[in-house]
Parts: sequence; C-alpha cells; structure tokens
Amino acid sequence: MQLILPPDVTAARFDQAMAAFAGVVGRQWVLADDEDRETYLDIYAPGNEEAHAPSAAVAPASVEEIQALLRIANEFRIPLWPISRGKNMGYGGAAPAMPGTVVLDLGRMNRILDVNEKFGYCVVEPGVGFYDLHRHLSENQIPLWMSIPGNAWGSVMGNALDRGFSASPYGEHSNNICGLEVVLANGEIVRTATGAMANSATWPLFKFGFGPSWDQAFVQSNFGIVTKMGYWLMPEPASTLSMNMSLPNPEDLGWLIDILTPLRMSRVIDQNIGIASYMGSATVSSQRSEWYDGRDALPEQVVRAIMDKTGAGWWNFGIRLYGDPEANEAHRKIIEAAFRERTEQPFRITRWTRGEGASGAAENSPARGGAPSPSVLPLQIVNWHGGRGGHLGFSPILPPDGKLVLEQLQRTRARFTEFGVDYSGTFYASGRHVINVNLILYDRDDEDMTDRCRKLFDALVKDAAQHGYGEYRTHLSYMDAVADTFGFNDRALWRMNETVKDVLDPNGIIAPGKSGIWPKNYRSARP
Amino acid sequence: MKLPAFFALGALVATAAVTASAQDTAGRGATSTQPRSGAALFQQQCGICHLEGGTGTFMLARRLGQDNALLTNRTNLTDAYLRVVVRQGQQSMPRFTRVELPDDDLELIIAYLVGNSRESRR
Repeated sequence: MQLILPPDVTAARFDQAMAAFAGVVGRQWVLADDEDRETYLDIYAPGNEEAHAPSAAVAPASVEEIQALLRIANEFRIPLWPISRGKNMGYGGAAPAMPGTVVLDLGRMNRILDVNEKFGYCVVEPGVGFYDLHRHLSENQIPLWMSIPGNAWGSVMGNALDRGFSASPYGEHSNNICGLEVVLANGEIVRTATGAMANSATWPLFKFGFGPSWDQAFVQSNFGIVTKMGYWLMPEPASTLSMNMSLPNPEDLGWLIDILTPLRMSRVIDQNIGIASYMGSATVSSQRSEWYDGRDALPEQVVRAIMDKTGAGWWNFGIRLYGDPEANEAHRKIIEAAFRERTEQPFRITRWTRGEGASGAAENSPARGGAPSPSVLPLQIVNWHGGRGGHLGFSPILPPDGKLVLEQLQRTRARFTEFGVDYSGTFYASGRHVINVNLILYDRDDEDMTDRCRKLFDALVKDAAQHGYGEYRTHLSYMDAVADTFGFNDRALWRMNETVKDVLDPNGIIAPGKSGIWPKNYRSARP
Repeated sequence: MKLPAFFALGALVATAAVTASAQDTAGRGATSTQPRSGAALFQQQCGICHLEGGTGTFMLARRLGQDNALLTNRTNLTDAYLRVVVRQGQQSMPRFTRVELPDDDLELIIAYLVGNSRESRR
C-alpha cells in the first residue's frame, strides 16, 4: 500500500521520528512496513480503506513510554491516534481519522490493575478486552457481572470511551467510568475526580471529585491519552427473571415504546431494552442469497417469509429483571399489567437463581445462567451479502415518544428502500431517550452497493438533523458531518472543543479529527 | 476502607508497584502460570470465532462445507496460507496486528494447526 506521511512531514523527518520511537519502545514495536500498516486499516470501510490509512503504528508498554513518545511526536510534529484494542468495528476499527497519522497502539498495556468485589469496580489499562476481564472474573470466581456489547472482541476501556452500550443495568458504559488517568499532549499525567488526590482512598468510588468533572471530557475526545480507568461492575444479583416477546407488525413499535418508557423511567425496568427487527436473527443465521437475489431492498413478501421461517416477529425484545426473586415477581406483575392494555400475548418467561451453573461451567456455556458472556457471534452480520462484507451503524438519539419513534422508523425505512438497502434496525428504549441503531450492510466488492450505502448514510444524517436528532456515535468518515449537525450558534460547542484542544495540545498531536475536533494546524485538512 | 497501594502512589511508582494486585491478562501478556503453547494460544486468540458455534466456524461452513468448518479439523492448512490470512484478513475476517498477535505467538499457532492438519491426513 502507498505510504501516506503526516501533513508537512518529510520522509527524512518521518524516518528520524520512527527511529526515535524505536529508541523508546524497541524496534519490534514500531510497525511501519506495508503489511503492518495494512493491519490497521478499517477492514469494513464503506469505500476506500486508504482514506484513513496510517503511516505506521507504535506500541508502548507503559505510561513512561507514552510520555517519551509524546516528546518525540511534539518535536517532529507526528500526529498519534490512540487505540486500545482497535476493534471499533463499524466505526473505523483501528484506523485514524486523518491519513498519515501514526496509530498509538495501547494493546500491550493490558493489565487488570484491581478488581474490588466488595465495592463492585475494576481498574484496567487500555488493552484489557472483555474476554480478558470475563476470564479473570470467572477464574477467580468473583461475583461481579460485566456489561458486554454485541461485539465483545474489543477493549473494556475503548468501548466505554466511545460510549458503547448494552442492554443491562450497567449498560451505559461511559456512565460506569469512575476516575481516569490521562497523559496530556505535553506528557503531564492527570488523574480525574477523586483520583486527583495524591493519596486518594475513593478514586473508583466517587465520580465527581471537586470542581469541574473531566471524565466525560475524555470520552469520544482527543484531549488526552487515557491510560487507566476506574470502572464499575454489577454485583451478581440473587436472581434474574427474563421476559421475552415478539410482535408481528412494524407499527407495534409505537405503543411498545409508550409502554416501556414509563416503566424504564420509574426503574421497574432497570435496563435498556433492545427492540430488534426480524433482520437481527436473519443476518446472524443466514445469508441474503438464501432469501432473495434482487438488487432492491427486501420486498414485503420476503420479509414475511423470513419471519415465518425463523420464527421471529417484526420486532423482538427481552426484558430482564435483576434482584431478589420477590422483587422480580412484583415487577413482572406490573409489567404484565401494562402490556395487557395492548396485547393478550403472554411473555415467554425464564428464571435464573444465583448458584445455577454460575461457576465451573465453560465460558460460553448457557450453564453459566444469568451471567453475561462475551461473544462475537453478532459479527456474522457482515456476511449477509457474502464477499468482503462490511457494515456501518447509523444511530440517532430519539425522544422516547411512540409517535415520534414510529415516524422516524417510517422515514428511515423509506430511505433504505429508496437506496435499495435492506432495512435492519434496533431501537433501545433507554428511559428518557431511544437509541436507534440502523445497520447498513454491504459487500465491499460491490462498488455500486457500497456507493448506495454511503449515499443512504448521508441522507439519513440530514433527515435526522432536520428533526432535531443527532447521532450518539459514528464512523470515522462521518465524524465531521455529524459534528456539523450539532450546529447551535454557528457550531459554538465545536469552537469551544477546538479552543480547549488548541490549549491542551498546541501541536495537534493527539487524534486530529476525532469526533470532528481538529487542532489548528490541521484544521485545513478537515474534509 | 483500605484500597490497594496502587491508588496511593504516583504513576511512576504505581506501574512498578502493582504486581501485588495486578493480574497480567491472559493471551497477549505472558504469565508464568500460563504455558505458551500453540493450542492455548489458538484457544485464546482464534477460539472466540473458530471453535464450535463460533462466527468463523459458521462462515467457513458456508464457504467450504461442514467438514472444513473447524480449523482444528482441517487437513489442508499450510504455514504460508495461515500467515497471509491472519495478517491480511480473509473475506470479513479482520486482520491481526503484530501487537495483538506477535510473530512468535503466530508461529506457535501455525505449528499447532499445521501439525493437526498433518495428523489428520495420516
């Protein structure tokens, strides 16, 4: 692949910088040949992978090495793109926003520094994956549960710092962050919240500290390099009670949201509820060619055939109650009464009690009962079309109002049909908001299909913004477009972000372009 | 309440002082208690997709048939092929960087799978 250097850096200066990096981390951890660079490309890119090609990667093993690398990067003006494990699938993977940026791969910093069973937290480094932490908890029989996203290949910290989520009581992962250690662009180490006390006894326990709270300023951010994270884990409940239901029609989504929202807000339901379309199971268990070979979006009769054969409803959701059995049964009755207003259909109910197969069972065995286990099975979706599959997620935040949510569904489906893309949506009822994740699946070998998917994405961003809905997270290629939708007072918030960025990182070293925040020296590179 | 010494120390000291409470995570970080065998590395690094019921196993079953779905059952794997697939990806399988899977570990995995492959051919 072609080597793209950072802007305004000559090949000679770049080579000097790489040699200096090698002096810090060792030659083997400066990854700068063609094959190495390719391993950091976005394999699911909606188009040319090299639009976000790194010039190299460098992998430190410690905070001190990061400080030393930053000194060199500032001297040679080498931008660095920090990644934890680089599994930001569907959002750009390990690739940087600005081509030519050097990936700062923190995967070697992979220690679980502490797990506190009594108070329900861990402290981890960037390279700790969901599988690593899960294995540690299982092997040591620590009764704490993780909240695990659909693709569990990634880093616990990386996922939280990108606002990953799941449908569990601790499912808003950035909300679980409690105190960070951050290396600033000038090499200074900062600890946030009560971690700022030299002898802090409460770092992973109290989120706010004294004065401004900065934890969330390092989320979806390029203000610093996070090296340690206090993170809350859920105490194992005494029992769980799961209630599952499928609904036959797309219009059922409206009343479903209106029933779930008050139950969620009052915490009768204490988790975000994922309401997935029929495509959820179809894309994991089959390929499109088994159902349809037209180049237009799946027609209604094919949708019904998928539902008939897979047993899925148009919508499918599960509610899980956590806690003492008596409390769960009381909440079950409240939920069932609320649903009886709209449907006679009973829930499919399963129960789990602490001790049932919780220890000693294989990691992914159902015998582990209620404890969530990591899985990457949802990555099957990329194989929907065959070929070199890829996926994008378009995920606006909506008000939790059935009528408005239904209107957004109808607008979105019409756009998918217009561009000939199969609709695949999930709505997460999250109390005061709904996260609407729309998966856009394509075969990267099919240029026409990929092009239509990009145009669909552009249209969806504009449609949503017109109705006052912005995305919670997006792919590298759309960070600027989505940032522009947060345009109140002529983008005042982004001017503030860039003012802070220029003060903290005057040479624009850390992740230029992340979340549409461009340092002053690269602002002209903004697409 | 007593928190680990880690929290009471500056960062420079902390990185050296965490050993009492820290756990090297399995896989990328070698530990004295975990043998670095090809089989163990395969389980940790490849197993999340390429054991029974994994997404890689499903995909291979579609492409190559059920008999060739599990990598540990294959009879036609070669060193060079595995090296290319791991570093360059295959269809929708992502590439592995040398940070995530260092060359030494990859060679152990290859030896394990190719050894299996030879055994299966006998």
